[in-house]
Amino acid sequence: MIEDFINKDKNKTFLEHEVKGILKGMGFYVPKGIFISKEMISQIPEIVNIPYPLAAKVSSSKIISKSDVHGVRTGLKNRDELKRAVIELMQIEHAEGVLVEEMAPEGLEVIIGGVIDEQFGPVVMFGLGGVFVELFKDVAFGLAPLKRSDALGLIKQTRGYRLLEGYRGMPPVDIDNLLNMIVTVSEIIATGLIKEIDLNPVALYPASYKESAMILDAKML
Amino acid sequence: MSNLDLLFNPRSIALVGAAHTELKLGGVILKNLMRFKGRLYPLNPKYNELMGLKAYTSIDDIPESVDLVIIIRPAPEVPEILKGLDGKAKCAIIESAGFAEIGDNELQDEIKRIGTGLGIRLLGPNCMGVYSPYRRLDTFFLPYERLKRPRKGNAAIVSQSGAIMICLFNAIRASNIGVSKAVGYGNAVDIDESDLYEYLADDKDTEVVISYIESLGDGRKFIEKARGLSEKKSLIILKAGKGLSGQAAAFSHTGRLAGRYEVFSSILKQFGIQEAGDFDELIDAAKALSYYPHMFPLAKGESRGGNRVCIITNGGGSGVLAADECMKQGLEVAKLPEDKIERLKQIFPHFYGVNNPVDLTAQVKDNDYVVVLNELKDYYDGFVIIALTGVTGITPGLAGLIKDFKKGTNKPIVFHIAHDGGSRRLITLLERIGIPVYPSAERAVRGLRAILR
Repeated sequence: MIEDFINKDKNKTFLEHEVKGILKGMGFYVPKGIFISKEMISQIPEIVNIPYPLAAKVSSSKIISKSDVHGVRTGLKNRDELKRAVIELMQIEHAEGVLVEEMAPEGLEVIIGGVIDEQFGPVVMFGLGGVFVELFKDVAFGLAPLKRSDALGLIKQTRGYRLLEGYRGMPPVDIDNLLNMIVTVSEIIATGLIKEIDLNPVALYPASYKESAMILDAKML
Repeated sequence: MSNLDLLFNPRSIALVGAAHTELKLGGVILKNLMRFKGRLYPLNPKYNELMGLKAYTSIDDIPESVDLVIIIRPAPEVPEILKGLDGKAKCAIIESAGFAEIGDNELQDEIKRIGTGLGIRLLGPNCMGVYSPYRRLDTFFLPYERLKRPRKGNAAIVSQSGAIMICLFNAIRASNIGVSKAVGYGNAVDIDESDLYEYLADDKDTEVVISYIESLGDGRKFIEKARGLSEKKSLIILKAGKGLSGQAAAFSHTGRLAGRYEVFSSILKQFGIQEAGDFDELIDAAKALSYYPHMFPLAKGESRGGNRVCIITNGGGSGVLAADECMKQGLEVAKLPEDKIERLKQIFPHFYGVNNPVDLTAQVKDNDYVVVLNELKDYYDGFVIIALTGVTGITPGLAGLIKDFKKGTNKPIVFHIAHDGGSRRLITLLERIGIPVYPSAERAVRGLRAILR
């Protein structure tokens, strides 16, 4: 699976919907979505048959941070709002298209990633999302590939760990599934076939949800 | 004999760059090497005799192949000196500076190539070399009058920096820790911390390894050897260079967050390898581990688990500070069992505080501490004893009582005694029987934490 992805074009940075397609093929959950290329813009909004509200995000191999270029619109309630959002996003510099997706339910956001470290080679990273990672750098690293028991140790290294177990009325998330995801990402980075992978954010839900972890954004290089 | 054995247990040594005066580094090293009981060959073509020893013109004049060569000559001369060792030596310490640390990577790569090509193991360059008191071996270029050496003991020091080695020697002497071996490995062109961990894991004189690291070579090899060592002995690491950030230009968020130190520290935790946050923590942990080496090693996969601490004090404030630090370090200042509270209340005057901390107040007598220890030894994993010696009830006799108590238990005890002239005798006696004494309550707790980890 990963090999196919890499061999497709060694010099291309893949767009979000392509990365998500690969991850979906590996058994991960991603939001239902449709990629709108520049040529397809006249077919908006008819071509989108996903229930509202929707989210629209600029797609580009050259844009590192979508929010920095105001490239994300959420809570689009109807066809008019969708159309306006897609047209605006297409006009952003370097835009190659727009990814329209269903709005995922609110969950606990985490980041799972992998890099090739200069000293240690492939390492996997876990952190609580949002302010925890931005402000507190509350992340932990592990030597990839990880065993499940190591993955548990990894999430326990973070200060925000208690949030995963349920805190102040928030329900506990499906930790088993989270561990599986971390192990899989660690195995992907350990193949040495890719340089960086970012699942950021991943929304986590209680184990009672059919899809207890949803990858909201993803990058691979 | 392995090549690292040649480094630590040579039978013969040649010193290239020996000098006649201690005003030169080659003279200091020669003087320090005079303590060595094996065969010693100073090299200097300008002299027939140095400090009473016959001087040799070149390595070829020496009548045997030597186990260890020490080089203290200017960096540009080192490649030729190494080439001359072909067939004459298997291990060399290059103490000279002037290589990668000043940006001359080319010269460093050249000596690495020569060493590999000739099959000579290299320590350094830009290093202090080896201090091995059990072998009376000392290759440091610092005179004894300037840098006092620690006593013999069970702690090995592995330091990438010579400057930190000096600081460690001072601190270790002040903390009354003994040393088995100390090695400064500098730029680590060949022998690095991983090789030294591997050697020390099987070194019979070493029970604790104190490691100061600036830069790692091969991270995976380091983890493998550090784990191997940690399974047999206690290893505590201090890493410098914590501010180095991740790759600012990384494509992913992960890449930007993956600072060199953050990754290092996380991976140490993954494998249960102990890290000290700073120099003082390193020394405090090393002292506790050196005094309680029999607490190690853990059987593979086993966790010591215990974190229940009892604090016994004769000063309320100090007891609170100790309790605060326990909380910070993840140690539990667990309540006394009900029946023991009743019992201790019957034994002690009503104004003693029978809680945890147990407060024996200024009216304390030496024996009170042991009464508490005997009552509570089965309920706690470790004890912090605070003895403020300004009161008349505490005497050097306390050490003898603790000694007797210690025979019947394997529970670790650490002491806090404020260090001053009057307490010196008690501190000395306690440390003689293997009880580590610290100058503050918090440091005593951190020492216990290292043992109970």
